[in-house]
Amino acid sequence: MIFQALQLHKDDNVATMIVEGEAGQVIAVKTPEDSLSLALVSRVPYCHKAALHPIEAGEIIVKYGKPIGRATKAIPAGAHVHVANIEGMRGRGDLARGGGC
Amino acid sequence: MEFYGYPRPQDQFGVRNHVLVIPTSRCNIAATRIAQYVYGTTTVITSGEIGRPSRDRERLGRLLIGLGQNPNTYATIVLGVRRGFGYRELEPYRIAEEIAQAGKPVIVLTVEEAGGLERLVELGIEAARRLVADASKVRRELVPASYLTIGVKCGLSDGTSGIAGNPAFGNATDRLIAAGGTAIFSETVEIIGAEHDLAARCVDPRDAARLLEMAAEVENAAKMTGEDIRTINPLPSNIAAGISTLEEKSLGAVAKAGTMPIQGVLEYACRPKKRGLHFMDGWMSSFSLPMSLAAAGCQVTIYQLGGEDLPSNDPPMMATNTSVVAPLMMITGNPRTEAKAPRSIDFSSGKIITGEWSVSQAGEELLQKIISVASGELVKGETIRYTDPLEPFFLGPVF
Repeated sequence: MIFQALQLHKDDNVATMIVEGEAGQVIAVKTPEDSLSLALVSRVPYCHKAALHPIEAGEIIVKYGKPIGRATKAIPAGAHVHVANIEGMRGRGDLARGGGC
Repeated sequence: MEFYGYPRPQDQFGVRNHVLVIPTSRCNIAATRIAQYVYGTTTVITSGEIGRPSRDRERLGRLLIGLGQNPNTYATIVLGVRRGFGYRELEPYRIAEEIAQAGKPVIVLTVEEAGGLERLVELGIEAARRLVADASKVRRELVPASYLTIGVKCGLSDGTSGIAGNPAFGNATDRLIAAGGTAIFSETVEIIGAEHDLAARCVDPRDAARLLEMAAEVENAAKMTGEDIRTINPLPSNIAAGISTLEEKSLGAVAKAGTMPIQGVLEYACRPKKRGLHFMDGWMSSFSLPMSLAAAGCQVTIYQLGGEDLPSNDPPMMATNTSVVAPLMMITGNPRTEAKAPRSIDFSSGKIITGEWSVSQAGEELLQKIISVASGELVKGETIRYTDPLEPFFLGPVF
């Protein structure tokens, strides 16, 4: 079977594209034990991530079975998951800045 | 598993046979001239120690001493202004005495004793020509892979790095360590998000504590900038290639550490005291880390490249010969990077992405390639005589 994306761990809510993905395309995702199909709702470039199911704002994004960040807005299944809709939780100097003058 | 290495004192084996020219204060110009003129030499040109606190001068000293002691170095020429000149940490005779602990030839030449800078260059050329001729008499011997220490940096990470390139390297590392060898990984900022997994793999709880402390120190430094680390690291190239957060980059990056227990956690540019897998505190820059790994004793260094964001035809590589005394192998797990950079890539595990190889097959092939490079096969970067600028991992500030 030919796959267009990989889910790296069974707990992951994102898959990594190994082809260029176009909106409307139905892709085959290789999962650790099986496979699933996913309809892309936006363009998802090679190497980038697609949401495997709907993700709520504030929900943790999981890849490699580990948290890689947090959704800043609701993300529909099949959408591009990237800097426009998720944020990191570590090294956030922008949040650490206090007070000011 | 065996490789052909140059025998050195103290039961060590080099994979190259360099004469290293080390400039201390103000001697970069002389070192550059000597290294350009004499075949078989290499040098390490940095911005030096002026106005730096002692902890950074000590780091620079450790770096230079480590490069001299690396088994790939046959002999070292240390250049200086005069005996006793400058900061104690970089005093030329002190650097030479430390390197000499490895039992190899070390010569000190100073501007004052030579009678001027240009006379120093002449004396340096004379000494270097004699030493490279002596070095050429050393014959490679077949020795077990347990004599090999490799170091890795990953860079220009993309979505393939955590799936193919780094896991393939991790598998090769596991195989080398199973054969009794040693591997060092680093890049402290890029363990943030994965540091607890790594700490749990440390054999010694004191190492686990130090590793967590290193990660906390660099995260605190990031917070002090007042910026989201994501605007600094991951780099714009990482983000363009699908990496969204530092945690995502880190979790992909640590796959290069394989699955073996961590035998030691090393301070910057310090050599392992045991065999097996080690973590070293270090700055991820390709202008800094490769030589720092060489200073920690790595005979072969590896740059594991994602590269999706590179331009499509013969892109510039992100580091050229920045390991000073060690070959710097360019490897990738991205089949598209392999296709666009055939003049630069030494090995590709891209067949993992296309489904033709398992990670284990890629690791086995990669280790064979590393062994071949250790036995004398030149990496692509070594076929050109150019070195990018070099910068030690300084903590600052400067005064």
